[in-house]
Amino acid sequence: MNTNSNAYTVIYTTLVVVIVAAVLAFTAMKLKPSQNANAKAETLRQMMSAAQIKPTDELYATKNAGILQLYADNIDKAYTIGLDGEQNGTLSTEKSKIDLVDNLKPQDKAIKAGDAVTLPVYVFKSGIQVIPIYGAGLWGPIWGYIAFQPDGKTIAGAYFDHDSETPGLGAKIKDEAWFREKFVGKQVKFGSEPLFNLAKNAEATGADNAIDAITGATMTSKGLNDALNVWFKAYEKHLGNKAETQNEEEE
Amino acid sequence: MDKKLKETILNPILKGNPITVLILGICSSLAVTVQLKGALVMALSVILVTGLSSLVCSLLRNSIPNRVRIIVQLVVVAMMVILVDQVLKAGEGTYAIDKQLSVYIGLIITNCIVMGRIEAFALGNKPIPSLLDGLANGVGYGLILIIVAFFRELFGSGTLFGLQVLPAGYIPNNLVILPPFALILLGCIIWVHRAFDKDLQEK
Repeated sequence: MNTNSNAYTVIYTTLVVVIVAAVLAFTAMKLKPSQNANAKAETLRQMMSAAQIKPTDELYATKNAGILQLYADNIDKAYTIGLDGEQNGTLSTEKSKIDLVDNLKPQDKAIKAGDAVTLPVYVFKSGIQVIPIYGAGLWGPIWGYIAFQPDGKTIAGAYFDHDSETPGLGAKIKDEAWFREKFVGKQVKFGSEPLFNLAKNAEATGADNAIDAITGATMTSKGLNDALNVWFKAYEKHLGNKAETQNEEEE
Repeated sequence: MDKKLKETILNPILKGNPITVLILGICSSLAVTVQLKGALVMALSVILVTGLSSLVCSLLRNSIPNRVRIIVQLVVVAMMVILVDQVLKAGEGTYAIDKQLSVYIGLIITNCIVMGRIEAFALGNKPIPSLLDGLANGVGYGLILIIVAFFRELFGSGTLFGLQVLPAGYIPNNLVILPPFALILLGCIIWVHRAFDKDLQEK
């Protein structure tokens, strides 16, 4: 047979592509459930690392089943809120069907457009509540989880992750423990601008809500600062109100 | 085992090592050798991809239209790479490593070793020798990767496979973690390799 004729070439390539596509589609379908389970456990690890349930290393050494159990044991309730700060849904915390809002990209879009959102709030038994943040880094999305003390403004812990930031520079937001530890004890200034200030030499101002940007990672730091401020703003009515009522109670 | 087959297996590991002799796959060997664990998973992935791609392309070798052979090879290699990536993402123990290796698993497709072996060997040989040639080239690549990662993890973090090896007082050398050091190390390995194998020295 003439393997160089046009008809043969077209039919051959079509066949190869169809077969390859079928193989890939089949594998993707078969593996999707375990990939999703891994992704969910990963999200829970990051949330519980921020909420200081256990040290990050220990969480990463724990298997998926153990992580689900740990979350079920420590979570008090989880719900979603709108931009008005009012609850508009609940998230299951039962071990067998843990419900998370883990697709943050559409939420980020909706926040910026002022559309209806379902922003998750995860309240742990310790009173610590965890919220996600999401934004754009230099090369791809960056996201994270910020844990607040019951007063709603003091940060109890943070965890950041990224898709493809530069290793050794922007990737430090995830890799370096000292960076996330810097957030502990900082206070978000609800009701003023900026809510949070992650910038060059910001710590020199002595403000409670200031953290120095990472040297050599200007764009990642800027992206993270934007993400923090956009998402804190979105939660302002929820967390900010809490901060105020707490203050009144104290007075 | 006949002599030719033995040569097929041993040559890519020693005399024709893809990294130290052919200088292929340098990019990924700089990028994924900070830790042994990552290097090991990367090595296994490349071994699988080179082996299976060579096998499939060798099976197809008489039917591939010559004008589009590179494209067909590329489709086969891409399929293998995506399969490996999907399986790594699905495994409970490998999910974190896959995330850590991030784009480099996907970039195996651009590794010259894979396409190079298909073009140079698989298209002209029977399936079994092609499979062995692909696997052996992957092993040759992986071997260098692991040697580099051993030194980088030991002196860059004081650990091996994440376990503390050097005494706690050891201050990690930050240069070792950065890619330029991998290049220096690679140069040293090539030097040592050529010092022992006089045939490789240029006149």
